[in-house]
Amino acid sequence: MDVKNILISVDASSNALRAVDYAATILAATPGVRVTLLYIERAPNRDKFENEKAWLSQCRLEEERVFEFLAEARAKLVAAGIQEQAVSERKVLCSAEPSIAQTILDVQQEGGFGTLIVGRRGLTKGEEFLFGSVSSKLVHNAKNCAVWVVQ
Amino acid sequence: MPESVRALVERFKPPVSVGTYGTVFTDTSEFMNIGYGDVIDVGGRHYLVLGDERERRFGMEDPKFWVKRCVELESGQYRILKLEFQESFDQHIGPLTITCHRSAAKEARILRLVAGDPRFMQGVAHKDGRGNLVRVLERVAGRRLDLNIEDIHTSHREYFHDVYPGILTRFIGACRAIHHLHQHGETHGDIRRDHLYVDHKTGDYCWIDFDYGYDSVENPFGLDLFGLGNILSFITGKGVHAIQELDSGALAITEADCALFFRHRVVNLRKLFAYIPEDLNRVLMHYSAGSEVFYETVPELLNDLEPCLDTLRRA
Repeated sequence: MDVKNILISVDASSNALRAVDYAATILAATPGVRVTLLYIERAPNRDKFENEKAWLSQCRLEEERVFEFLAEARAKLVAAGIQEQAVSERKVLCSAEPSIAQTILDVQQEGGFGTLIVGRRGLTKGEEFLFGSVSSKLVHNAKNCAVWVVQ
Repeated sequence: MPESVRALVERFKPPVSVGTYGTVFTDTSEFMNIGYGDVIDVGGRHYLVLGDERERRFGMEDPKFWVKRCVELESGQYRILKLEFQESFDQHIGPLTITCHRSAAKEARILRLVAGDPRFMQGVAHKDGRGNLVRVLERVAGRRLDLNIEDIHTSHREYFHDVYPGILTRFIGACRAIHHLHQHGETHGDIRRDHLYVDHKTGDYCWIDFDYGYDSVENPFGLDLFGLGNILSFITGKGVHAIQELDSGALAITEADCALFFRHRVVNLRKLFAYIPEDLNRVLMHYSAGSEVFYETVPELLNDLEPCLDTLRRA
């Protein structure tokens, strides 16, 4: 694994943006880094919507939100001094199984990423029980890479 | 009401008196307007409406206007018709607020998945003339598990040694039923002790009501596991044990002994009933405020719980 091959997993939230900011600050002065912004796409729960049209409309909204987020994240990294061609973006579709954390780890292993960076929502113990925590699972299950969890 | 449907009512003489002949509905969108004496025509059958179902909790009754108690005129059988009512609302679990939704499509999928499986409420879904998914449910021939347990008037010790092993055996079966849903990518969504029924004939447990859903999260089965823990605590304690009803000082009960989400409910039941085996109590403690490790899947829970049954049988 190459520690300078860096995977930043984002979810278009303010926590993810904090992780991007942090990474930009730390990595700007490091020569030879390659950064991949990874978005794990999970379609909104179809059961929540009255009809196909409403669901598709929400899918489109989320797609636009992610597109804008990735553009903003890329701009931050480049503005900090990382070369334009060293930043790439990737979207991976995730169904209910496996989990988002497992999908991130699969991408990390396949891509030989030696550093994995994620934001953290700061869940309470109860929230972690009911909803699960991506960052906790990454910390517990990551192999052959460093995991940076940004609060 | 058309003569043909009126003739059906008279021909099949439903086991209730019909005082008024209402309207025949092929579109159930306006379910608030459907009431006693009306007939719902769906799936090639006619259902005479007797009234709205009510939810009974904590001694209160809430009418559920989208759930109709009916008689199927062609067979004379009681049926419950759940009409499509898509809504999102906040549910409170202790200090947490969770947005959940009611989905007819989800319940219809699960009914198809569990058809013929006595561990689940049975029924079929049909689209009405407007495309609304109407679920036609068979009434579960049984009684709520929690009411059965509340009616056991023995000491906890006697209950625990004589009755509880049988209850735990069946509860483990009910957990396996939930795992069956999870294996197919579904969740129950509303696991509560009043959603688990005891079959009058077989004594087996049967889950009801599958229409609640939540947004996808990292731990998709967390809420179901939480519900199973609450029921396990209830059946093991032969009820809920609130801290204010106990001499918590004498029993040395602390916050860590209470439920993670309900800080007044004691889950460290071994402090109240010293004969509860340590391994069983350890399972309960996964649901306590003091726990750092939680169950994420039913097999994780059962890996710990099934050996407890062996211990109890040997005792």
